[in-house]
Amino acid sequence: MGSVMQVVFDAASLGSLYALGALGIALIFGVMRLVNFAHGDVIAACVFVLLWPSVDAVAIVFAGNLPWFLLVPFVLAMGAALSVASEVVVFRRFRNANPATMMIASFALGFVIRYFLLMLYSSRPKSISLLPTLSQPVEIMGARIPLLQVITIVVTIGVLFGLTSFLRRTRFGLEMRAAAENFTMARVLGVRANRVIMGAFALSGALAAAIALILGSQTGTANIVMGANVMLMAFIATVIGGMGSLAGAVIAGFLLGAIAVVMQVILPPDARAFRDAFVYGAVILVLIFRPQGLLTARGTKERV
Amino acid sequence: MKRVIAVLAASTCLGSAAFGDDDRIVVGFATAETGFMQAYDKPAQDAAMIRIAEINEAGGLLGKQIEVVNADTKTDRAEGAKAGLSVIDAGADIVVVSCDYDFGAPAALTAESSGLISFFLCAESIKAGIQGVGPNSFSASVLAPVQGATMAQWAYEKKEARSFYRLLDTWTEYNKGICDGFDYMLPQLADATLVGEDTFLNEDASIAAQITRIKGLPEEPDAIMLCTMMPGAVSAIKQLRAAGINSMILNGSGVDGSYWLSAVPDLSNFYTPVQGSIYGDDPNAEVTAFNAKFKEATGGDPSTQYTYPGYVMIDVWAKAVERAGTTETAAVVAELEKMNAEPTLFGPRTFTSELHHQNQARYLIVETNAGKPGVVDEWTISAPIPVADLMK
Amino acid sequence: MAPRTQRRSVALRTISTPLILAALLVAFALVAWASGSRPFNQTVIDIFLQVIFVVGLYVFVGNSGVISFGHIAFACLGGYVAAWTTIKPMMKGISMPGLPDWLMQLEIPFWAAALAGGAFAAFWALVFGAVLMRLSGIAASIATFAMLAMVNSIYSNWESVTAATSSVVGIPILRVLWPYLVAAILAVFAAWAYSISRHGLALRAARDEPTAAAASGIDIPRARLIAFVISGAIMGAGGALYAHSIGLVTPDTYYLGLTFTTLSMLVVGGMSSLSGAVLGVLILSSLIQALRWLEAGIDIGTTTFALPGGVQEIALGVVMIAILMFRPAGIMGNKELTWPTGRGNDKPGEPGETN
Repeated sequence: MGSVMQVVFDAASLGSLYALGALGIALIFGVMRLVNFAHGDVIAACVFVLLWPSVDAVAIVFAGNLPWFLLVPFVLAMGAALSVASEVVVFRRFRNANPATMMIASFALGFVIRYFLLMLYSSRPKSISLLPTLSQPVEIMGARIPLLQVITIVVTIGVLFGLTSFLRRTRFGLEMRAAAENFTMARVLGVRANRVIMGAFALSGALAAAIALILGSQTGTANIVMGANVMLMAFIATVIGGMGSLAGAVIAGFLLGAIAVVMQVILPPDARAFRDAFVYGAVILVLIFRPQGLLTARGTKERV
Repeated sequence: MKRVIAVLAASTCLGSAAFGDDDRIVVGFATAETGFMQAYDKPAQDAAMIRIAEINEAGGLLGKQIEVVNADTKTDRAEGAKAGLSVIDAGADIVVVSCDYDFGAPAALTAESSGLISFFLCAESIKAGIQGVGPNSFSASVLAPVQGATMAQWAYEKKEARSFYRLLDTWTEYNKGICDGFDYMLPQLADATLVGEDTFLNEDASIAAQITRIKGLPEEPDAIMLCTMMPGAVSAIKQLRAAGINSMILNGSGVDGSYWLSAVPDLSNFYTPVQGSIYGDDPNAEVTAFNAKFKEATGGDPSTQYTYPGYVMIDVWAKAVERAGTTETAAVVAELEKMNAEPTLFGPRTFTSELHHQNQARYLIVETNAGKPGVVDEWTISAPIPVADLMK
Repeated sequence: MAPRTQRRSVALRTISTPLILAALLVAFALVAWASGSRPFNQTVIDIFLQVIFVVGLYVFVGNSGVISFGHIAFACLGGYVAAWTTIKPMMKGISMPGLPDWLMQLEIPFWAAALAGGAFAAFWALVFGAVLMRLSGIAASIATFAMLAMVNSIYSNWESVTAATSSVVGIPILRVLWPYLVAAILAVFAAWAYSISRHGLALRAARDEPTAAAASGIDIPRARLIAFVISGAIMGAGGALYAHSIGLVTPDTYYLGLTFTTLSMLVVGGMSSLSGAVLGVLILSSLIQALRWLEAGIDIGTTTFALPGGVQEIALGVVMIAILMFRPAGIMGNKELTWPTGRGNDKPGEPGETN
């Protein structure tokens, strides 16, 4: 019982990370058909805002010293701000560009952010003790689980419910959903395009910041490439979930997390190193059988 | 576009003006000045520059001042090959290449094909030498398997560790090297058992599944051999401790340094082999003096032990040049290969015509206790690891 | 479909494009040769290799309109073929002991290795393509990425055959410029020949008007598969030559970094234009090189002007964004370079103006 629960928790916490990442990508894809490759670099930047720029090996903690009730909103706000800034400065000029162009532009932007961080902080991973109380283990149903894993799962579920009710209950949410369904039509019907898109970027940035907080406290490290892996998995989850479908992205994120953890558990030692090959093989299989994704968002077929 | 090319072509001519002038002794650094590897190459290169300055102050090498030329590899393999060619064209007598075997090899290969000595700043793979690059290639550090073997034997002899768990990060050759050394040593330790093993990837966001496997063991192992490196190491260590696993953790030198310890507050029962101590408690007072000198030159203390091989490299190379009376490759290589337990600031160094690397070395053992690292012991594996075992 | 004479006239009308592109490449080679600098020579070799990769990618992406993140996997397959077939048998025995005997004993020249690399990559493109070409749009893009990640994961861990993550050294290094020039020109001509072939025209029709093309009997998955295999072959040959240019292979060389560089150069140049593919490489590579020289420092009069380290990458990203902002369809859009006196419809941009 205990060990099964442990695996379930492992899968759920990894899946939560991917799901949060996939949501961030799907939100932006929904409103402007942009596959935002800069998302991973926004995640990394959100961790680095806690440190004072320096190329020394020892991190100079700056905003990271704030008490948690200030630190969490601060990081979320920085994520949102960076993301909105990227829309205002860069992506706004690409409204009518084709998806490939936007994708490469977002990649170039991520490249700029990454090398900017590298110049300010050097490539050496910096250690930070972020929210250290979260590293303590707790006992749930016979499984000893780090508190952080529990919080990750709870936060993800909280974010999902919060986002759902936000999209369902508020006017802004309604506009955003309308824009995701059919942007041109929504615009004709009076949806304020720039506001909706900026809102989507702000939400996406805040989600990136949430991932940054989780990754930062889990790994204790700020590293310029730390967002890349989550971003790739999130990107895959977004596609498997059905481009533009928020619920699909979340489900696929959890699914990918579960596949990765289960592969690690069931593969024999010699094959474990090949885990990723099996995971990506599974991705191809899912795509072959459900090319439009698990849940298909209306109006997103064949745009890329 | 033609205009641009003309400008570019003109500027290269400026760059390659000096060529094959034999009155000079030139050390060429084809290392990363920007990008990911910069953080690893620069400290070792700074240490090398300190040794060069010392030699120059003492009257130079063969009566000549050592000159230095640099080219940036930008942490890119193709650029590495170009950087190697650049320093060779600028008249380098020895090509110093990146710390890491994978990133240093392209430049080392250009040196090899030009018949020059190449020296890896701190690569720890046997391929950074005769077995990979070729007969004129050396590394200034100690083979990774020696680290794994040292930790296994030391923990067995001094800490009565009997049950071991092997956790390998398959990301790099260095990590695998540590575990190879561990695998070599373990069967030689009577009644020591391997109770389990697992792999992960440095970039894995979570190693929860691997931890669950350790926790599934009937008894917590005495020691976990953790074969990994930065940045994933911090994450793995933090997650191991967060999950309540308190076994002794054995590591390679790659996790040396106190800069990351704030991430795992009050870390204890954690052991690392180092060539010299950056914590000011090295049994050799001269190492502490070097640390002070390094701080004076660069403005900061060495942040890891990987600073030291750069100093050793210039030291042994200059001795070989002095003995050979020339910088000519074959003569210097022959002198280097005669070195047997040659004393250096950071332990004895041996090179043979079979191996341009250390397959046995004196290591200091650093224990981190309640978040404070410090030297607690010194260990040399009982016999060198045979080359055949290193090549498997 | 088009009768033979008609195709010949298409060929005559469009042959100026590959000829102009080849002339540009030759010009680069001559500049490198005249400069006599070995590092610069190596830089131009890199540019030619990048031309091969981007043109290879163009054959599929440009003609089908499907973005592929996976083509560097074929370069990886080709690169390892070079390692398997050109390293001295004794060294192979040490680094890759699991190779079958006949392969272990094999030692062939670089050009044969490039051909073998291309053939091996083409075979796997056929296998993967048979499954993947049924997908379209972003699902196909992600599936190709999954293919790349699979190949990378396998090559990074298959100790006995690929030496896993360790660099495999001992590949004979080829520092002469001309073979790379010839290969790049061949790639350009192959891409051109494909794009005016029946299959290429059909695929482009399917790209622009999928419904109409399908209705007129074009088997889209099959047309895509043909492009996929040809582009896989070019990438494989390029990967093998890349191995010969630096003398080693690792799986890591052929992964995300190269994927994004290649894709970026194609999109900046103009995704659906062969001239765009080549110019994208030439312009971005020249820019990178110019920035690197600036970073290393340039003497102007008595003062040395140097950019701070790391600015090169940032500037490159900014310039790429700027180019895409002003030319969303890339520098060439979907136009090709032709003789200025030609049919006069597309005024070819002088490459010098855009740089």
